[in-house]
Amino acid sequence: MRTLQSQSTDIYTEYVRDWKEKGGKVLGYACVATPVELIEAAGILPYRIKAFGHPDTELGDAYLARFNCRFCRSCLQLGLDGTYDFLDGLVETNGCDHLRGMFENWQYVKKYDFFHYLKVPHFLREDSLEYFTEEIQLMRQAIAEHFGAEISDDALREAIDAYDEVFAKLKQVYALREKVPPALTGAEVMRLICTGSSMTARDFSALLDEVLSEKEGARVPEYKARLMILGSATDEVDLIADIESTGALIATDALCYGSRSFWSREGESGDPARLLAERYLGNLFCPRMFTEYEKRRDYILETARRAGVEGAIITYNKFCDLHGVEAVSLRMDLEDAGIPVLVLEKDYGSKADTGRIKTRVQAFLERLGK
Amino acid sequence: MYYAGIDVGSLTAQAVVINAKGIVAYKSIGVKPHPVQSAKTVVDMLIQEQGINWNEVKFCVSTGYGREQVQAEGLSQDNVSEISCHGMGASWLVPDVRTVIDIGGQDAKVIRVGKGGELVDFVMNDKCAAGTGRFLEVQARTLGLSLDELGTVSFSAERTLELSSRCSIFCETEVLHYLQRGHTKADIAAGVNRAMAERVAALVRRVGLEKEVTMSGGVAKNAAVRAELERMLNVRLIKYDTDSQIVGALGAALMARKMGGGS
Repeated sequence: MRTLQSQSTDIYTEYVRDWKEKGGKVLGYACVATPVELIEAAGILPYRIKAFGHPDTELGDAYLARFNCRFCRSCLQLGLDGTYDFLDGLVETNGCDHLRGMFENWQYVKKYDFFHYLKVPHFLREDSLEYFTEEIQLMRQAIAEHFGAEISDDALREAIDAYDEVFAKLKQVYALREKVPPALTGAEVMRLICTGSSMTARDFSALLDEVLSEKEGARVPEYKARLMILGSATDEVDLIADIESTGALIATDALCYGSRSFWSREGESGDPARLLAERYLGNLFCPRMFTEYEKRRDYILETARRAGVEGAIITYNKFCDLHGVEAVSLRMDLEDAGIPVLVLEKDYGSKADTGRIKTRVQAFLERLGK
Repeated sequence: MYYAGIDVGSLTAQAVVINAKGIVAYKSIGVKPHPVQSAKTVVDMLIQEQGINWNEVKFCVSTGYGREQVQAEGLSQDNVSEISCHGMGASWLVPDVRTVIDIGGQDAKVIRVGKGGELVDFVMNDKCAAGTGRFLEVQARTLGLSLDELGTVSFSAERTLELSSRCSIFCETEVLHYLQRGHTKADIAAGVNRAMAERVAALVRRVGLEKEVTMSGGVAKNAAVRAELERMLNVRLIKYDTDSQIVGALGAALMARKMGGGS
């Protein structure tokens, strides 16, 4: 795990460096609704954009307002300061308005030769599935034309199978973290998922084999309480580590840089483009899906029950409209289910706020009698 | 046999010593550059000025933002969050209390406690000066008033001016705008105090109000904010009959007594 830990909070990892040196192309995406199988079927490395709590935003602030989500401003900062210059293009989605602002300003300044806007419907209906299937075909066409890569149905099916293998192994990792006693901490799991989001499915699968065999008999040190964390997009491994330093164990999560990125990818169509539409739109546990609250709530409650958590932390980045609003209903539903909740609104990447966050988590543990 | 609590906050540090019956001694000081230095100083002063024999302290709990460092230095045997300590301290001082409003220079907390002072729920302000003492400081400075005057002057207001923004920075520009248009400081101060109370009331509503209610922290000394809050929440805010600044350290001492086996 030492190699993994040293790599994962770098943006330009050794793995990506090797990929580029061999002449490989890399496409950046951020939203969990992006069908990465399509990118990988074209022989391109899909790279999920991260900022790992990067605290500076001065370049990002020149294009986005201070009341935009700081995760987006931090990612934009790294896009503009050259950290992400290894990318060969960007795939934007309408995940949320802050994210769109990030992508479009990034493209406005950097002017990548390849920039594609994948429009993701906000409803799950037959007509929206048809629409999203067309959108996926347009993305397929755009990548194929620009990179001169043929994306056959067979290649797509192969990529889908490769990702299914990864997702199955990630579920095994979650079984190890959720069991009593747990074999991995929450910070370790987030680090692992972030690392994998900058690798091909095949290589991530091999890494997961190593991790699974290494962690099978492992046991994390003593902890006071098993908690779940859920909420808005965050890749802050340090935040999870800070929370866990108070004695809490993040035994599971419903974060989009966590379980929401892989837990369910069900679909039934024989046509790979339609299958991708079903896999992504049908399993998008995000408040941007306006009529899917009950599905998200059930997913969260099921995750909490499976991991036997004693409490939940709903965290969201300041100015995150979607999760800020959703937190109200989720808190009520979790507490109705007998799971105490700490709502933790925070500024993304603010190390100066660590003390206040730890105070709130410690008080929450004390409230739980720990 | 003594039990002690040390509370090192961002602006002040307190130490409280109790025995089986109640408070024996307490001391409050302005903080030193380092939390451990603050803790040592306040304890030394308690020993020197009030003759406390620290060797008789069976168990000590630290709280406040410096709580972990104070424990690491061996000055306390355990640490508890200031949220739990404020709840415990308030409950000891006012046994029927169920809601504790604590508004300091940088933090605003609303704490719900049970019958024995145990923590039931809490809410703490987000990383923003609005709704904290800092908000009042900024507006008082703009008005050319002291913090005390900001509270008292608003009782002579003829009308309460509306401040549309709760952001400290934007609010400051609105205060300036009113001054330039010739409004009285009293009318503007009344608006500032109401804006402050509205923010705190929102925090209270978020966690839910249950009587009895106490208010502590520096902002509790602003009578106009208290009066606005009492009106908005339709509740009487009970005053402590001791220095409201020692509530956290008192709670820590009570925790120490429990942990140390002194009930």
